[in-house]
Amino acid sequence: MVVDAAATVGIDIPVYCYHQALGPLGACRICLVEIEKMPKLMTACTTAATDGMVVHTQSQAAEKGRRGILEFLLINHPLDCPICDKGGECFLQDYVFQYGAGQARFEEAKIQRHKEYPVSPYILVDQERCVLCQRCVRFMGEYVGEEELLMDGRGVHTVITNVPGIPLTSPFSGNVIDLCPVGALLSEPYHYRARPWNIEREDTYCSQCPVGCSSSVTGRDGQVVRLEGRPTPGQWGWLCDHGRFTYDFGAHPTRLTEARLDGEPVTVGRAAQVLGQRLAAVVREHGPDAVAVLTGGSHTVEDHYALRRFADEVLGGSRAGLVKPVEADLPLALLGTFAELDQSDTVLLLGTDPYESAPVVHLALRENVRRRGLVVKALGDRHLLRDTLAGEEWVVEPGGMAAALAAATAGVSEHPDARLAAEGLAPADESLVRLGQALMEPGALTVLWDGREQDLAPALVALARARGEHPTRVLPTFGPRNWLAAARVGIPTDYETSRRILMDAADGRIQVLLLWGADPVRDFPDGDLAARALERCPEVYFGGVFPPDGAELLAGVLPTAAWAEEAGTYVNMEGRLQTGRGAASAPGQARPTRNILQAVARAYGTPLRKLDEWDPYEGTVDDRLVLPPLEGSVRPVSPPPAAESGFRLISGLEVALTHDPSEVAARTKEDRPARMHPADLADLGLLTGSGPVELSSGDRSFRVGVRGDPRIPRGRVFVPRGLRGVPINRLGGIAVAVRAVEEVASR
Amino acid sequence: MTSEELGTGGAPEWNPEWASWAAAAREEFPRAQSALMPFLHRVQTDEGWLRPEALDAAAHYLELPRQYVESVVSFYSLFRTEVTGHRTIHVCMSLSCALAGSDALLHNLEEALGVRVGQTTPDGAYTLLEAECLAACDLAPACQVNLRYVGPVPPERFQTLLEEEVSTREDA
Ligand code: SF4
Ligand code: SF4
Ligand code: FES
Ligand code: FES
Repeated sequence: MVVDAAATVGIDIPVYCYHQALGPLGACRICLVEIEKMPKLMTACTTAATDGMVVHTQSQAAEKGRRGILEFLLINHPLDCPICDKGGECFLQDYVFQYGAGQARFEEAKIQRHKEYPVSPYILVDQERCVLCQRCVRFMGEYVGEEELLMDGRGVHTVITNVPGIPLTSPFSGNVIDLCPVGALLSEPYHYRARPWNIEREDTYCSQCPVGCSSSVTGRDGQVVRLEGRPTPGQWGWLCDHGRFTYDFGAHPTRLTEARLDGEPVTVGRAAQVLGQRLAAVVREHGPDAVAVLTGGSHTVEDHYALRRFADEVLGGSRAGLVKPVEADLPLALLGTFAELDQSDTVLLLGTDPYESAPVVHLALRENVRRRGLVVKALGDRHLLRDTLAGEEWVVEPGGMAAALAAATAGVSEHPDARLAAEGLAPADESLVRLGQALMEPGALTVLWDGREQDLAPALVALARARGEHPTRVLPTFGPRNWLAAARVGIPTDYETSRRILMDAADGRIQVLLLWGADPVRDFPDGDLAARALERCPEVYFGGVFPPDGAELLAGVLPTAAWAEEAGTYVNMEGRLQTGRGAASAPGQARPTRNILQAVARAYGTPLRKLDEWDPYEGTVDDRLVLPPLEGSVRPVSPPPAAESGFRLISGLEVALTHDPSEVAARTKEDRPARMHPADLADLGLLTGSGPVELSSGDRSFRVGVRGDPRIPRGRVFVPRGLRGVPINRLGGIAVAVRAVEEVASR
Repeated sequence: MTSEELGTGGAPEWNPEWASWAAAAREEFPRAQSALMPFLHRVQTDEGWLRPEALDAAAHYLELPRQYVESVVSFYSLFRTEVTGHRTIHVCMSLSCALAGSDALLHNLEEALGVRVGQTTPDGAYTLLEAECLAACDLAPACQVNLRYVGPVPPERFQTLLEEEVSTREDA
């Protein structure tokens, strides 16, 4: 299009309705240009640029056309820029200033409409300011595929609204605030909070899931007040609402802002000193093996580097590990990128529904399907495809994904590793052979995997080897957000290392356990082991932003600075380093991890040298981790667990539920996190389609709210992992009894 | 909302005939978007206006987004989304009729019925509406009663409109 061609040579043509992700529409006509040999002004956004075309963007005719359009747009505009949230960030202001007339000629009364009409708990429409570009309606309807906004009425009476009584619920709805070129779609939580000239707006990356969407954070008076999407080359700048509206987590009431020793508040300096002296005494007496460090993978790369050096140099070689909510380890050699996803011929969703676990990746998949017919396959223990993402899927028994993948590969490939992985498994049936064929198709394959089922690692390696020179890439959709930072600095990220550390702590072989942002009781797949470790280890110290489960067992707590409170580097699910800047200040006594660890190191007697001289990007290629080669042998995958009667537990990760505590995002937080097939709910007597149930297995049980979801196969209960108060990692086994319980009236 | 959640029988306030009307519209116009208007017209002829449930039903039976149905209904001014009386009186307010006194006619009707333009009498007998040029300027001031032309109606003869014989919806 002429508009894009002009942009490549640095000429800016004004647009409202046009957006490259949405395609041309030609609704607003602000982009009028004069094209030689064409009788009338043309819209630059719908006219394809051709060889030899001569376009005038600044001619008298073009400017007159634009001025006319702007005059029309302002006929019913309330001109209330002084109280508009977007005042100073608005393309109507900018273009009128640049091209418009100074004075309006329209003297009649303006049409009045809704000014603060809520279409969702987060979004207000000011219908008087709308220029009817339709970006918002098309984004929701066409791009996201969730038609939730509409144009109501006709002609001059047209307004943007929702169906009465049906608010927007899409997790992508917040993007319309960014997309709206004027002050018509507004963020309710940001409404009347700040003006562009008294804020700090800094480049950052979302902190809520490993996608790491590029964004801008707005700080005012030391507090984060907004998060917006930020387009970068190759990325549109979309955010999901879970990330967008969780920006206030640093100010949440449960945020740690003071240091504690044995439950008593102390200064951070004092706590660091005591910790340093205790560590020195323990290491002197029992050696460095009596201390271990577990990171939760939420702090920055720089923080992880400090942690690593602290374990190595100060403690003299203590073990370090990562607590993650899944049991499997990704062979890092297979780590893929979003650019590779955009080039892939086939995508396999392996146990994961990206809409839930990595929301903006769902949008990328959908765009690839729509734009170039990407083929989507899914293999899971529940239905992973949705109305907005079509494909072909295989639903297998709980715990049976690895066996299915290995059998499918071996059903089609003669590769020795494929055979080895499938050794002892039943041969692939017709349906699995079809899966194998789809996965062995030539071209590039990208697998999205949520890290469940340990045996999927060898099954994936076997698949990659069987595919030979055809690229096989894996994008891990599991958190924690910054777990690859641990990989960057050499902290082991495998399940076995952290399991050993917890075992040793539970067996009394570790005297001091240092948790850095780690919440093992909640997150570690073997929750009982983690709980035993915290109970039996004589001294457990915690550094982080939110208190972990079992906080009463801690010997000491050190509050650390969080995202957006200092500059820091993150590594997203493609292994890409992303440095975000700070726009707020850490509350109370919270301090950057590096400063705290340095204070502990001093008290220990071994200060860390040149901590700040390290460059996280050193040795990376294209800002990405350097991946190890794919080596090692493949082991046979174990057969799927025998089918049992009763309900079976399945799980997964959901950003909507496990994001940081946030008062803003709490507006739409689901309080029935578990899901079952509606027919199963009806059988349990929950005829309204939701309610509290008790899940039990052996002598363990807990209560959880459940809602109906036809995408959960019958006889299964889906419970998300890593949720406070929902200890799915302590039930053990996959057979559970489910019983509806009376709703206990609360408050 | 999926069809399963709604149940195919529909909520109690849904007219059971709507399903077959939608099917009939679908037969004539295989594209759901095209079948929408005939379906809505049929419901409006039957009930006089389009209740929100009718829009829900249109979306459900024709498998269209509810938002799309809403947009279409709001686009056409002859679709009514408010309760409508037994007789709907349209008074043309465009140029020829205005010159012939449609203003006064409308005023007289408002007085007689005790409602403002756009409203329905509490007993549900009459709805009073304005119209743009009805393309019957030779009958100015031109009116419609249940879409049937009446005119000319001089302002003082407003009563004739109220007594106009109408084919009631029941006979339709
Ligand atoms: S609300 Fe904004 S994005 Fe939507 S049509 Fe109006 S101006 Fe465009
Ligand atoms: S997809 Fe993840 S990184 Fe992106 S906005 Fe959502 S939570 Fe944040
Ligand atoms: S930007 Fe070209 S018509 Fe809207
Ligand atoms: S002006 Fe009334 S019918 Fe034409």
